[in-house]
Amino acid sequence: MSDNSAITVNNLIKSVATQEGELTILNGINMDVKLGESVAILGPSGSGKSTLLGLLAALDSPTSGEIFLDGEALHGLDEEGKARLRKEKVSFIFQSFMLVDTLNALENVMLPAELSGVECAREKAEAMLDRVGLSHRLTHFPNQLSGGEQQRVAIARAFICEPKVLFADEPTGNLDGANSDKVADMLFELNRDSDTTLILVTHDLQLANRCERQFIMQAGLLTEPDDTLQSDPHESGKLASMEAS
Amino acid sequence: MEMRIAWKLFKRELFQGQLLLIILAITLAVLSVTGLARVSERLQIAINGQASKFIAADRIINSPTPIDSEILTIASSLGLAHAQSMQFNSMVYANDNFQLVTVRAVDSKYPLKGQIELVDGVTHTLPPADTLWYETRLGGILNSPSSLEIGNAEFRLGAEIARLPDAGFNPFASSPVVLMRLDDVVKTGVIQPGSRVSYIHQFAGDADKLAVLEEAVKPLLNNSQRWVDVQSGDSPIASAVKRAERFLLLASLLGIALACAAIGIAAQRYCQRHFDVVAMLKTFGASSQQIRVLFGVHLLLVTSLGIILGLLGGLALDAMLTAYLPQAIAEYDAPLARPLLLGVATGLISAFMFSAYPLMRLLSIPPLRVLQRQLEGVQFGMWLHLLLSVGAMALLGYLYSQSLALTMTVVAGVLLLGILLSLFGFVLISAGHSVGMKTTNPMQLALAGLRRRAKQNAVQLVGFSSALVLLLTIIALRQDLLDEWQKQLPEGSPNYFLVNIAPDEQQPLNDYFSLNAIKATDIYPVIRGRLVQINGEDLISSDQADAGNEGRVGISRELNLTWRDNLPPNNDLLSGTFNQASDEVSIESGVAERLGVDLGDALTFEIDNQRLTVNIASIRAVHWETLQPNFFMIFTQEALAPFAYTSMASFYLEDNQKHLVLELIKRFPTVSIIDVGAMVKQLREIIDQVSLSLTLVLVLVLLASSLVMVAQTEAGMATRQRELAVLRTFGASGWLLRMATALEFALLGLIAGVMAVVVAEFTLYLLKTQVFELVVYMHWDWWVLAPLSGAVIVALLGTWRCRQLLQKSCGELLKA
Repeated sequence: MSDNSAITVNNLIKSVATQEGELTILNGINMDVKLGESVAILGPSGSGKSTLLGLLAALDSPTSGEIFLDGEALHGLDEEGKARLRKEKVSFIFQSFMLVDTLNALENVMLPAELSGVECAREKAEAMLDRVGLSHRLTHFPNQLSGGEQQRVAIARAFICEPKVLFADEPTGNLDGANSDKVADMLFELNRDSDTTLILVTHDLQLANRCERQFIMQAGLLTEPDDTLQSDPHESGKLASMEAS
Repeated sequence: MEMRIAWKLFKRELFQGQLLLIILAITLAVLSVTGLARVSERLQIAINGQASKFIAADRIINSPTPIDSEILTIASSLGLAHAQSMQFNSMVYANDNFQLVTVRAVDSKYPLKGQIELVDGVTHTLPPADTLWYETRLGGILNSPSSLEIGNAEFRLGAEIARLPDAGFNPFASSPVVLMRLDDVVKTGVIQPGSRVSYIHQFAGDADKLAVLEEAVKPLLNNSQRWVDVQSGDSPIASAVKRAERFLLLASLLGIALACAAIGIAAQRYCQRHFDVVAMLKTFGASSQQIRVLFGVHLLLVTSLGIILGLLGGLALDAMLTAYLPQAIAEYDAPLARPLLLGVATGLISAFMFSAYPLMRLLSIPPLRVLQRQLEGVQFGMWLHLLLSVGAMALLGYLYSQSLALTMTVVAGVLLLGILLSLFGFVLISAGHSVGMKTTNPMQLALAGLRRRAKQNAVQLVGFSSALVLLLTIIALRQDLLDEWQKQLPEGSPNYFLVNIAPDEQQPLNDYFSLNAIKATDIYPVIRGRLVQINGEDLISSDQADAGNEGRVGISRELNLTWRDNLPPNNDLLSGTFNQASDEVSIESGVAERLGVDLGDALTFEIDNQRLTVNIASIRAVHWETLQPNFFMIFTQEALAPFAYTSMASFYLEDNQKHLVLELIKRFPTVSIIDVGAMVKQLREIIDQVSLSLTLVLVLVLLASSLVMVAQTEAGMATRQRELAVLRTFGASGWLLRMATALEFALLGLIAGVMAVVVAEFTLYLLKTQVFELVVYMHWDWWVLAPLSGAVIVALLGTWRCRQLLQKSCGELLKA
């Protein structure tokens, strides 16, 4: 683990008990992500991407192995410790937006700031919504916003506490092409401006290639190809064959 | 900060209607408790107040000897009002005539409750010294004297009495009453050692102080001294009040149990709705403490609003009811503090205890749910949930009823009901044949749905059917009680009694009734006699028994005996056959029990110094509350033929026929007429108030059961939502889904209806035989109506909710 590591993972294993016996989902993962880097994790469904994301983001506990987030050992923390760490250093963007239906756009963005006791949460939230182009939608509720707009609210919410690491789970997965590009542009722009480390889980090669590094997860193992994945038919085919496997 | 988030969530969810169900449920529980506690306290005070007028006090000690002075010291130290009087029979002399009268000698405090009614109107004064007030008929008998003698003293005759407040209802009291001052008794010199005198001590004051007095005094009384309150025996309203109280209490407890059930279901939904919010908050790093505070405050806000609305509703209900009460009743003001405190306690206990388990699950939602939506909170075990729910219900029941036994009975009953219904429902649904899931036929879809969700449906069945059971039970009991009272005092109940009818006056009197179209009861002969032997064994009086004499105790006074060929109306034959042979007698069940006699026992009476022995051939239950001539002993005419008799009858006069009374007095001067119209009116007023409160309870129970049904439907639809979304995605039409949902819910409602009728009939059987002493019968119409209405109501609720869901897009449905 170097001083400028955002995330370091050593020999991470995650198994769960099933009726058929123990199932190993992650089988000895190692990775190191530098501060400010953007990293994509690609892989077919069921390969363990989301499980890895949950562990890296301190939402879940590993069976064995070590995870360091901004120098702090996650594997040694209890639930309260993990909650504190999430509050101080981490933020999220989800495929299904995960906005609180009963709160309006402004209130949704304010929520993590208020939980962290940030001063002037309202002003900051307004500024964030302005940055994602939704200053005219402050009092709209999620069901009054389009999918793209909802994800922009989620992006504003993710950045309001200026996280060290941002985890994004298929952030464009529920959006059409145009909205998808717009949301991705916004995500990368904000990420660059705030110097946040981005860990992005996706199926979308094009989106993955906008990240500085790409990892591929398959059958519980994580590999980092030497070159950037190409979104040409050949590479796409390669990914498709992984999906089928 | 958590408070601000809680307030924001609360405000938003409130205006979006998401908290409607739980707030309504809390409101209803608080409203029921506050409203019913207020109404029943007011009624209790009003009824007791009314009833107190019957005994001119709140409590009485009636004694044949002067009472222990310690009793009066206790009463005085408690600050209770006290009036002392004496009652005895004496001969009076005037204009060369003698007449036996009942003398009532009272002190200056009399009456503590009610008023003396004179012929000229109500008075608040008493006779002056050396003056008697007298019943009108005494003037007639003694040829209108200006004064009369009692013992050694001469009294002026003052005002004519129409009615003393505690005259009671005793048409046999054939001697006229005179009222005098207590100080004057000594002048008469008629009270000698051994004289038969009743020393009457009347008390009035706060219920709490009266209770203290009762506790202190009862051990000091001997067997011949009686403690009388408005509910003990003599008052014709006693049984009506007792039954109504039992019903109100039971119905209120069931209403509270139902409202609790609604809160339970709503609390579960409330927590389920917040699963994602908690997962989100945890993901953003909220600590357990922050989330506990946030949802604690949120639930407190929800509860507070429910409580405030409930209290306002309860008071509004009380105000509404008061507006319908007669002025005399509305003026009784019950203390406000207890109902309000009870309401607040109910809201807090029910909301927090019923929410405790779902809330624990909510707080244990893992943050990972944001990635794995199927994750839910920790299952702490049903026993904990059950313990908390039953604990809440028991605590509330006890707070409300202050009776551990009743609370335990209701809680055990509700628990047993729940277990029985769950088993019954599960077996019924599981027994259904699975027919797969074809997406073209709504009936097949409905049946398949029922079968697949057997466990959840069994839970829903319990909700639907318990709501129906309790509703049916309350409807039936209320109706039976009202019918019973109506039967006791039907329109045209006698408001006059005639006593001392000589045998040769019977026919002219009957003719007079026919001529004036007066509705009269049968004429009953009356012969006074004393029971002296049972199976040949001599009887002693209770006074003798108190003095230490050994022997079987009889009835210490003369009885009014009658004869009759058939069972009188308002009497139920409990055992034996009604008099057939001349040596047979029919006895009232209460007296039979007191004397310890049964069918076949021989009773010997002394009438006009002659002895008559008869055997008990039947035992009757008599409805004493009916203002009709009622008798302990009924003989055959043959048995009583040797004895001289007078007769009595009662009749009903419309207001516009009142002039006939004067005419009757003129035509039959020796017959005594007793006006009980005022008493009938008073009794009717009390019954009207109680009926109103019964209706109120019914409405509250109806609301509570409707809420349980709506809450249950809401919960039921939540389990169906994903399936609906999937079927919708695969192209199932709105019509098909609505029909299938309607049919599935209709089947649930139908089964719930059948189960409800079975259980309700059984519950009613138990309640009627064990608690209310009412006649048991089957409600055959329910067997059709309950399942049908169950099906229709539940289907409508289900379709309505389904329609709401289907207005959403598939995406929204699948996401939710």
